[in-house]
Amino acid sequence: MESDSQLVAGARNGDQQAFAELVRRHSAAVFRLALSILGREFGPEAEDVTQEVFLKVHHAIASFRGEAEFSSWIYRITFNQAVNLKARVRFRSPHADDTVLYRAVNPQPGPHLQAETAQRDEALAECIRTLPEVYQSALRLYYWLGAGVGEVAALLGVPENTAKSYLHRARQLLHAMLKEKGYSCD
Amino acid sequence: MTEMEPREPGIDSLLRHSLAAPVPSLPPDFDQRIMRELHRDVPRLDRYRRILLTGYGLVSVVTCAVVMRSQGLGWGVIALTTLAPLVPVAVRTRVRS
Repeated sequence: MESDSQLVAGARNGDQQAFAELVRRHSAAVFRLALSILGREFGPEAEDVTQEVFLKVHHAIASFRGEAEFSSWIYRITFNQAVNLKARVRFRSPHADDTVLYRAVNPQPGPHLQAETAQRDEALAECIRTLPEVYQSALRLYYWLGAGVGEVAALLGVPENTAKSYLHRARQLLHAMLKEKGYSCD
Repeated sequence: MTEMEPREPGIDSLLRHSLAAPVPSLPPDFDQRIMRELHRDVPRLDRYRRILLTGYGLVSVVTCAVVMRSQGLGWGVIALTTLAPLVPVAVRTRVRS
């Protein structure tokens, strides 16, 4: 099996099959990273970001010097692309959140508790949105997308210890913010 | 699981519960779609590049001709000095094809 750098060399020489293989290898990870930045309400936008990233990579592949891993390069492009898109769509009403559907098929015990849970979830979502982008992304990757710390680190282009500290710091901040809003996390 | 402080398990399980939702995935034909998009994009870029280069070339030739003529050179010399650099390009193109 060819390595990424061999495929990149092929793609630079116009080998479309090599580029197709790079797309096949990295599209899922790029999509997950875009999702983690945009949030679950923006699945279609995450797909658009993934497409844009590969078109950008194809145009810029000649300038890729191979000093870093191809995957790190492509994740950095994804991060910037998704953050830019997020800034543009921030004030647009999101698509229907599929959590509603999920909650409907996984009902809570009683209506009162359900309302309380929904309120707390909304407060939590609000708090998450105020965190720095890397913390938000790390949280969504870890808790929503089920990524391990290693994957979080790779996608965000940081060492594992840094990814751990992002998660730790994010939890601390959320705990404090929820407490301030009057919600208990214990 | 990352290492946690004593107060963190509460927020940890809250996050697990609150962020639990189906994870969307890319459509199965996504890779092919990208490649189709690229095939559409490359000829367009080539066309723009060609138009830009042709425009640049024409402006250069006209400017050179005007400047050389203003210095009193004859049309023969002007044609030779302007068109001579095109010979290696033409040869290279022929060799390539």
